[in-house]
Amino acid sequence: MSPGPATLLLVDDEVRILSALRRVLRREGYRLLTAETPEQALRILDEQAVDVIVTDQKMPGMSGLQLLAEAARRRPEARRLLITGWTEEVPREQIEALGIRAMIPKPWDDAELKATLRAQISP
Amino acid sequence: MREITSLVRVVVALPGGDPHGTLEALEHLGPGVRVETAASLEACAEVARGADLVVLGGCPAASAGPVLAVAREGGAPVVAVVESGCGDAVVEWFRCGAADCVVAGADESRALASVAFEQIRRGRELRERRSVERRLRWLENLNTTIVNEIPAALAVVDAERRLVVANPAFERAWGAPLEGLAGRLLDEVLPADLLESGGIHAMLDRVAAGRPAAPAVARGVDRAGSPVALDARAQRLDEGGRLLLVLSDVTERESLARRIADLKRYNENIIQNLNSALLVVDVDGGITVANGMAAQILGEPGARLRGRSVWDWFSTARGQGALLARTLAQGTRFRGAETILTRADGTVVPIGISCAPLQDADGSRLGAVAIFQDLTEINLLQRQVLQREKMASIGQLAAGVAHEINNPMGFIHANLSQMEEYLADLRRVWDEVGILRKAVGGDEAAEIRRAADALGALVRELDAEYVLTDFVKAIRESQEGSERIRHIVRDLRDFSRTDSDERVPSDINQCLDSTANIVWSMMKHSVVLRKRYADLPKVRCYPMQLKQVFMNLLVNAYQAIEERVGQSGERGEIELVTERRGDRVAVVVSDTGVGIPPDMLHRIFDPFFTTKEVGVGTGLGLSTCYNIVRKHGGTVRASNRPGAGATFEVILPLAPEGEAA
Repeated sequence: MSPGPATLLLVDDEVRILSALRRVLRREGYRLLTAETPEQALRILDEQAVDVIVTDQKMPGMSGLQLLAEAARRRPEARRLLITGWTEEVPREQIEALGIRAMIPKPWDDAELKATLRAQISP
Repeated sequence: MREITSLVRVVVALPGGDPHGTLEALEHLGPGVRVETAASLEACAEVARGADLVVLGGCPAASAGPVLAVAREGGAPVVAVVESGCGDAVVEWFRCGAADCVVAGADESRALASVAFEQIRRGRELRERRSVERRLRWLENLNTTIVNEIPAALAVVDAERRLVVANPAFERAWGAPLEGLAGRLLDEVLPADLLESGGIHAMLDRVAAGRPAAPAVARGVDRAGSPVALDARAQRLDEGGRLLLVLSDVTERESLARRIADLKRYNENIIQNLNSALLVVDVDGGITVANGMAAQILGEPGARLRGRSVWDWFSTARGQGALLARTLAQGTRFRGAETILTRADGTVVPIGISCAPLQDADGSRLGAVAIFQDLTEINLLQRQVLQREKMASIGQLAAGVAHEINNPMGFIHANLSQMEEYLADLRRVWDEVGILRKAVGGDEAAEIRRAADALGALVRELDAEYVLTDFVKAIRESQEGSERIRHIVRDLRDFSRTDSDERVPSDINQCLDSTANIVWSMMKHSVVLRKRYADLPKVRCYPMQLKQVFMNLLVNAYQAIEERVGQSGERGEIELVTERRGDRVAVVVSDTGVGIPPDMLHRIFDPFFTTKEVGVGTGLGLSTCYNIVRKHGGTVRASNRPGAGATFEVILPLAPEGEAA
């Protein structure tokens, strides 16, 4: 874990979701990066290290799972979290294969979300 | 002596010359007598036919055989002029057939004239008598022939009703096997039921009394036991009380009449019990025949329909009667068209109608026959089926729609709890403001400064400036999110509405676009949607049904793309094009999906034909499209694109056939 505030990369094609996430995590003391497309997220990963990647599953062009698989190659140390709506089912094997640490439902409970993220950061 | 007035023709032959002035004597007979002289007996035989008198002289009777024969046959008397003192010759002439002889001599001229007149008169009488006799014989023959050959049975009975004579037809019908009808009582010859049903004795009584009797129909069975109907008439023949009875067989005529009546009843039965309404109208649209179902659908008692104008129900102004009007005007026939009729009370009834022109044997137009059904119930069922299918397609969209609602739900939910936190922060600031105000009231400077410092510290701690700004932003974003949800729900509700019975002028671009909006949420992650809409006039249609067509085509296109790209992350393309083509509009939906296997191209519009897995497709989607488009009088075609994918083309008329747009 790098010194200073932990860096979170939030990825969702819905800009309002990113905005809401920022609000929720405002006081959590993270450095927040956001990307509206998987491509943009990959560019950020190429440029800098992040501690946690939180991505939406359903996005145009590339799914959240595909993005996380890509991220695991580029930043294997980054913790990977997936946000899914209640209509998308992701097979357990795929979750395990990609080393996904936690699944975050959409809509989320703020307290639960904060607790999940804290658990990723603390050693 | 009778005066001879008409032109008399006398033929004279004097082979031995005219020594006694016979010709001169004949010239004196008068101006009405034309004397023709024959040069020889042979010539005389040739012209003797038709003469009133033939005068021969100067030849022996034996030589005049041919002349005498011709004269006898034609009824012309022959007078011979013989030399005086030839008694034998006179005898011989009479023996050979001469009517008279005149002795030549001094007073021959006078005798000849007297004899000639007498003979001409007799000859005329003879010929007249012969002619009358001939006529009588001819009439007798005619009579016999008629009596023998007439198919009616004729019998003459006497005052005791005994048969005097009967014709062969009567004998054939009632004589054999018993011979000798004459003298037998009519009651013994004709069956009692026949005599009775025809009132034949009463009829004979009337004519015997000299009163007229109307013909009657007698019924019974003939000798073979088959039922017969006979037209019976009677006539008094003479003062002796003899009566003529005429019996004509009208069995066949009666059975024909009955068969015609039966046929009429049969037709009437079919027409009245038809499960469809039937109207026959004249060229002006006046109703001449209407069955019970027609009365029911038109909402008037059948008895009041005759003579009414069909245009009372099929208003031409609203295009409802356009097809029927065309059948009447041009003789075109059509089948299974859909339109509506309007009852007197304003009720609108949807109907399916077929019309055919009615023509007489010469081909001139008499009117039209219209057969129609009330489609109210069928339409209701169809609507239910369509509705179910619509709901099924919404089911297919559920995942996409849910996702689409889930996103705004997600951030609205998060924003709300955040706003609650913001409000708690601002409450803390407000509390601190309260303390400050109290301190200001207390007029103690140290207290005031402390309170102001605390407020300032809190404002900094909470970043109150940011909270206020972001609070507003959070509200705006949440409002926008709820607006999005509202739109999705509105589109869904719009899509699941049903049509009214009447076509409404609709914007096809709008129908297509709002449908695409619903499907869009489902497909936006794997599809790029391109739209190329032309300016279109309004189309008279059932917009909800057309939306169903567009929905099915869009879902199909989307599924074809999904099948092609799978999980690869690639995106397909759907292109929506509308364009005007004369009095039609075309809606073209093309995709870059898997395309249609060529061997299935001709089957994809069949009901229940599906290439999808069990549970994915009902196999009704495209056949529903086909039916809806056809109902609009349009066509739908499928083809594969040269590159990849399929194209579906829906062509719709601006207005239904026969109606103005």
